[in-house]
Amino acid sequence: MALQMEERPRAPLSPEPERKIGDDGPRRPDVSRPDSKRLLERMKRVDPEQAKRYRQRSGE
Amino acid sequence: MRSRNRADPEDISDLMLFGLETEYGIHVDGKGPAEMIAEARAVVRAWRGKSAGPWDYASETPRLDLRGFEVDRLNRDRADQRWDKDSERYESQSDERADRVLANGARFYNDHGHPEYATPECRSLYDLVAHDRAGERIVWESAKAHAESGAPVSIFKNNTDFHGASYGCHESYLIPRDIPYEDLQKALVPFLVTRQLYAGAGKVGVEPSSRSESVFQLSQRADFITETASIDTLSRRPVFNTRDEPHADPELYRRLHVVSGDANMNERATALKVGATAAVLRMVAKGWRSELVVREPAKAMQAISRDPSCRWIVELEGNRTMAAVDIQRVYATEASEMLSRDDDGEDVFTALEMWMAALDGLEQYWDSMVPSVDWAAKRQLIEIYREVEGLEWDHPFLRSLDLAYSDVNPETGLFRALEQEGTARSLVSEADIVRAMAEPPTDTRAAVRGALVDRFGAEIAALSWGGVWLGADGSRSYLDLGMPNEADAEAAAVKVRNASSLNEALRSLSAIS
Repeated sequence: MALQMEERPRAPLSPEPERKIGDDGPRRPDVSRPDSKRLLERMKRVDPEQAKRYRQRSGE
Repeated sequence: MRSRNRADPEDISDLMLFGLETEYGIHVDGKGPAEMIAEARAVVRAWRGKSAGPWDYASETPRLDLRGFEVDRLNRDRADQRWDKDSERYESQSDERADRVLANGARFYNDHGHPEYATPECRSLYDLVAHDRAGERIVWESAKAHAESGAPVSIFKNNTDFHGASYGCHESYLIPRDIPYEDLQKALVPFLVTRQLYAGAGKVGVEPSSRSESVFQLSQRADFITETASIDTLSRRPVFNTRDEPHADPELYRRLHVVSGDANMNERATALKVGATAAVLRMVAKGWRSELVVREPAKAMQAISRDPSCRWIVELEGNRTMAAVDIQRVYATEASEMLSRDDDGEDVFTALEMWMAALDGLEQYWDSMVPSVDWAAKRQLIEIYREVEGLEWDHPFLRSLDLAYSDVNPETGLFRALEQEGTARSLVSEADIVRAMAEPPTDTRAAVRGALVDRFGAEIAALSWGGVWLGADGSRSYLDLGMPNEADAEAAAVKVRNASSLNEALRSLSAIS
């Protein structure tokens, strides 16, 4: 199957209208940020000790 | 299986295959690094889908070097050896690794404490991204299954534990043998040093370091790249890996094995990383040679990664400098002039469009790349949090956010949240990801491997990328999968799937050959 530039449809987290996503070109001053509230909520749930506890074997 | 009789560089469109092998990070509550070999092994064994094994290690040649010699041994990370447990012994390498080949043609195994998922060989970027995403799902499903009998398990698709241990996301590209090694290295090094601009996954801080530093890097892996070229992967990791292990006819093929890249969450970053590299290889196969020579490539890679100004200036031989974006633009421009849709396919041109768009965006405002580039998305997320909470870049919590970006759990992962919000642009459909979890690509030798696992897994004695040992009852025969073209691969797989017995499948494959 050939590579195409199409989006995969998905259901948003909320009933809000689907956010318009711009292309990858320069967009100042209209650079949009994601919906901060939900992302902040998820970030606040991150265990603050997670990185400190995270230890791995050296891989390739 | 019908194979090529000779590798003609002009046939590279038909020839080029690629794959990704990702070592996943794993955290189990209450367990440390000394237990990770056992835990990763248990995760792999918990996969409930169809599979076959063991892996045929006799066919592997990891100590052969592209430069024409064999090394006595590969370097290990000595600091990591402190975690080895004398009490932990397995009957064999195969037992420890718990190798499984899945019905989609992928390899899933424990690589020294990391669940590793190697995609089947793909001919298109779309298939590769779908199979890379399928791998995330398979590793996560396996981790959840393992967690049912014990402690919670977290899986991370990243490249560092922030304490000095790194693990890889390696790329493989099948190319003609007759491309001189020196030309490959010279062409690839400046490209690999600078492609982190769009392929980097981002990292908070610097390693080795015992404290957080106020640095946001483009690359997770750059801190661990210390050599320009070497065969090693466990320590003294290079920009350009010289392992000569084609997993195919060594008279006809090379496999470029890239170990210096990051694991990407964003599908478009994955596609661009591999698509741009494939485009460069196509150019080299057609005779293009690079004029650029980076001074001290490993140091340059780190300097770009750590540059807070986003100017990304690179020192070149000849006492001159060049911006990394401009180096990449040289490659992209040459590729757009040299490659053609007729010879190289539509896929390549879509990748070229993405490449040029990324470079345009990077030259203007880095945050224009948030939908497509992992480091940009991660940086924006963390900056949002910093602004709200008033944290400096050296606050230790930011590393936990960095780690959470690569958490594959849809309920807790931060990249997953960006996907759910629609901020991260996708490339492949949900249906194709689900399909890739069970089915191989139809147009490479993986189609036959996957069909054999799916239909006759119980009769498989061992497998490798290049072939299958059949006859689990003691009488063994070897099926060389060869390197079939698209049509032959598909036809062979259909024969296997339609056969009522393994013997009938083998007879029909002989008829194709």
